[in-house]
Amino acid sequence: MFSHNRRKLLQASGALVATGALSATTPAQAAAPRVVVIGGGFAGATVAKYVRMWNPAIQVSLVEPNPGHVSCILSNLVMTGAVGMSTITLRYDNLRSKYGVNIVADRAVSIDPVSRVVLTANGSRLPYDKLVLAPGIDFDSIPGLDSAVLPHAWQAGPQTLALKAQLDSVPAGGTFVMSIPKAPYRCPPGPYERACLLADSLLRRRRAGRVIVLDANSDVVAEPHTFHTAFQTTYAGVIDYRPNSEVLSVDWAGKKVVTNWESVPFDAANIIPPQRAGKLVAAAGLLGSDPATRWAPVNPLSYESRVVPNVHVIGDSQGTGQPKSGHMANAQAKVCADALVRYFAGEQPDPAPMTSSACYSPITATTASWLTVVFGYDAASGLMKPVANTLAEAPAPTAGHYKDMFGWAKNLFADSFS
Amino acid sequence: MKTYRKTLTGALALALLGAASAYAAPPAGRLLAAQCAQCHGTNGQAVSGMEKLAGESEREIYNELIEMKAKLKPDEIMHRQAAGYTDAQIRLIARYYASLGKTGSTGSRGSSSTSRKSRDD
Repeated sequence: MFSHNRRKLLQASGALVATGALSATTPAQAAAPRVVVIGGGFAGATVAKYVRMWNPAIQVSLVEPNPGHVSCILSNLVMTGAVGMSTITLRYDNLRSKYGVNIVADRAVSIDPVSRVVLTANGSRLPYDKLVLAPGIDFDSIPGLDSAVLPHAWQAGPQTLALKAQLDSVPAGGTFVMSIPKAPYRCPPGPYERACLLADSLLRRRRAGRVIVLDANSDVVAEPHTFHTAFQTTYAGVIDYRPNSEVLSVDWAGKKVVTNWESVPFDAANIIPPQRAGKLVAAAGLLGSDPATRWAPVNPLSYESRVVPNVHVIGDSQGTGQPKSGHMANAQAKVCADALVRYFAGEQPDPAPMTSSACYSPITATTASWLTVVFGYDAASGLMKPVANTLAEAPAPTAGHYKDMFGWAKNLFADSFS
Repeated sequence: MKTYRKTLTGALALALLGAASAYAAPPAGRLLAAQCAQCHGTNGQAVSGMEKLAGESEREIYNELIEMKAKLKPDEIMHRQAAGYTDAQIRLIARYYASLGKTGSTGSRGSSSTSRKSRDD
């Protein structure tokens, strides 16, 4: 009901703006709709760009303390040394210069959903008609684990370089232990891709080491054919895959990871903790009253929160049954942008949105696989569901797919950030 | 509520006639077509390694996607993508990209979905 009334009010203000423009007597700018976006990853950058591209009459501010986003996509290739940090560092300059997005280099600290204002670390108050939250992921804590020392590298940047340092530190015949949290987590094939590239790097460096993969899940979560083949054939004797292995604690001084089964010694390690929606989502009350809820319940027609009106959540933080990835974040951002543009035109959202997922994973230093699925809106459940016959993985990793991976990443980066 | 919306829509429509579509509803197919842009570039202007879609003929895009959907070759990622969309959705996507022209428009005012139809059909 609250939402309904607000919607009416906003539509009325939209009508005022429009008639103002018609008579050309009142400055339409003063009442231009204001969209504030928090978080400059794939989701936040894309929604800011597309709202401005599709309707430049809407003011868009992107609140993000960093001058650019460091992409997790391709970041395992920074770990191996195949590409540099500059390849995965995506700046916001084009969002500002080409699309007129107002970049607010500040950290959002709280939201007042009644007054519709975002408060920032520097003390700014940013009023909004519609707020889009795209804060990515947050991590559960694991006893004994300090991710500044033992990186998760599940947010790219300094963590990526810390992971590279871990890999480079493995002695001849040494053991690298990595862990995979229970799904859903960011990038379903990502940890398995990383295991392959760790193994490939050790082989290429003739370290004769091994990679122990502790997976909290009962089986490989994504591309089972590709990764079972890689683990059992390509990297036989190097990768030791252990399903149903949940990390309970880390003994940094003793260099051991403790799981529900065993204690596993390591020379170097990469512990990826269980994940949940970015901090601001919980702080704003968007998870509702059930403490077990990890991801924001939203309506996938517009990504508006089912708990707090006029606040939309896209990307990894949303909970609609879609995989969490940069490609999907971009896909959802466009559905959200379209819904916002329609909203300010007094229209309902598209009743049958689609989101397309595709990604490429390097399996060796010269080959890659792909994974794809298309989602459609399912009115019965109010969720996004995979369309029949669209979920598939590459039959085998190839050099051609490795080349396509860079075409995919380059276009996805450009579509989101420039 | 319904009357209210109707009146509002009427007011908006009037305003739009005079105010260069500041709050126009999106052209048909634009949101669906935007799902191709992750790989094929914003408004079909791929930057590298992928096919550009902007300004391709409606018939060519439509026929190609319908054929992919029918074949479902296991080593072709695009066949799975095509399988996600109904024939009617594919028609809208093809028409939208054809309407953009080779150089691509910003998409903010995307031309009418029927403007290019006569040329392609």
